[in-house]
Amino acid sequence: MSAGVEVAALRVSYGAGEPALRDVTFTATEGHAVAVLGPNGGGKTTLFRALLGELPATAGTVRVHGVTAYVPQTERSRLDFPVSALDVALMGAYARTPWYRRVADGDRALARAALQRVGLGDRAGSRFGALSGGQRQRVLIARALVQDAGVLLLDEPFAGVDRASEEAIMGILDELRGEGRVLLIATHDVEHARRWDRVLCLAGRQVAYGPPGQTLTNEVLEATYGEEIVVLDCGHRAIAVQHHAHDHAH
Amino acid sequence: MGWLTDPLALPFMQRALLVTLLLAVAAGLLGTWIVLRRLAFFAHAVGSATFPGLVVAGPWGIAPPLAALGAGLGFAGLLSRMTRRGAASADAATGLLLTGALALGAILASDVYRAGSGVDRLLFGTLLGLGDGDLALAAAAAIAAVGATAVLARTWLATGFDPPGAEALGIRAARGDWLLLALLAVSVVAVLPAVGALLVSTLLVVPAATARLLTDSLGTLLAAAVGLAALEGVGGLLLAYHLDLPPGPAIAVVGGGAFGLAALATATRRPR
Repeated sequence: MSAGVEVAALRVSYGAGEPALRDVTFTATEGHAVAVLGPNGGGKTTLFRALLGELPATAGTVRVHGVTAYVPQTERSRLDFPVSALDVALMGAYARTPWYRRVADGDRALARAALQRVGLGDRAGSRFGALSGGQRQRVLIARALVQDAGVLLLDEPFAGVDRASEEAIMGILDELRGEGRVLLIATHDVEHARRWDRVLCLAGRQVAYGPPGQTLTNEVLEATYGEEIVVLDCGHRAIAVQHHAHDHAH
Repeated sequence: MGWLTDPLALPFMQRALLVTLLLAVAAGLLGTWIVLRRLAFFAHAVGSATFPGLVVAGPWGIAPPLAALGAGLGFAGLLSRMTRRGAASADAATGLLLTGALALGAILASDVYRAGSGVDRLLFGTLLGLGDGDLALAAAAAIAAVGATAVLARTWLATGFDPPGAEALGIRAARGDWLLLALLAVSVVAVLPAVGALLVSTLLVVPAATARLLTDSLGTLLAAAVGLAALEGVGGLLLAYHLDLPPGPAIAVVGGGAFGLAALATATRRPR
């Protein structure tokens, strides 16, 4: 699988105002997992939307090799929808299903295999909303596998997920990386970010990009999170704390 | 069986029955998507917003469906403008505009055009005086709903399930949404003669919301919504005939009763 992401001097603006994201330059090659770290509003979602082609680059270039899949946070999906785990996985085949046909039998088999692969082969018929947060996250990863994605953009895949599921998801992501897929994993958690090959720190602009050992320094984290960072240096554990702004504009 | 066969021997009741069944197909299918996409309040508001259009249709010499469609689209345009500019949240703006439209319609009807007793018919419908145009519109809405559901079900399902992720699946979500709103407007206009501007939800929301209580499968949901809309429509029609009630409110009462029964029956099974 030859997948990759090349971004050079990227700038993205919504309308005429200040750019939401600027000065982003990085390359992620086959088999790389990149943690995308930054505060809310730091540009993680904007970067993903630019990589998906949903937002045009105001300046710079974005090049993506391979089918790109977006794996949303499970809380963003509608849990009351009448869809089973299999139905959701099948959505990965919608783009290649002509409007006048049913989803092909081959794609149905693929969807079942993808659910099997994320450890949910026996839950194919379960209602999506009735699954646990971690199980739902795995169903959404299965959907990306049905899309045959070479590049996976994962939005906070560990948010609202229990410890056991977190380990299961880590294992799946490691496997996908081993197959040469490129993973971009948006996260708040500095400790998670240490596990991946590269870390991209965003705070409206690119603060740093590189291997975790070089990137996750106190200086970079402070530049990324401003004063919102609390670094607990007991056994190199660092947690980014999100504060809620209380200065309401009237 | 006289209670069933006697009314159906009358030509105007036969026509009312036919229109009701066609509307049940349109409203049951579209209603399922309206309920799943949480557009119920919007659909109700579009219905109310058609009222001033219906009032001026006669005096201005415009075909009522066109006048209603114009008013409904005007409402949608204003709503999108208000929410895009951040003037009000979507539900507050919807409430505001629907109240404004009803008030405007009432003033036009009572003080400008002195529409008199015709106002009741515009607000609550009449299945007992339907013309060829109403029948044709109901048939067109039914065909459009069947066709759109066949072609767009996957698009609507994926977009409704996961709005931020739909485009990334290769789905043309924006186009699908636009078509859904256009069909919503058409089906609102189609049900107006039967249930009136104030009661469009009777056919467009209530049967689908009732069906939603009973099933977790999309296919069953679509079929059940059409079936319920047909049963409630025909039941309301017969009730109206025998008790000399206006048909729109009669269908609304039957629909409300069915929803209540379904809610009671499922309350213990699936706490929500």
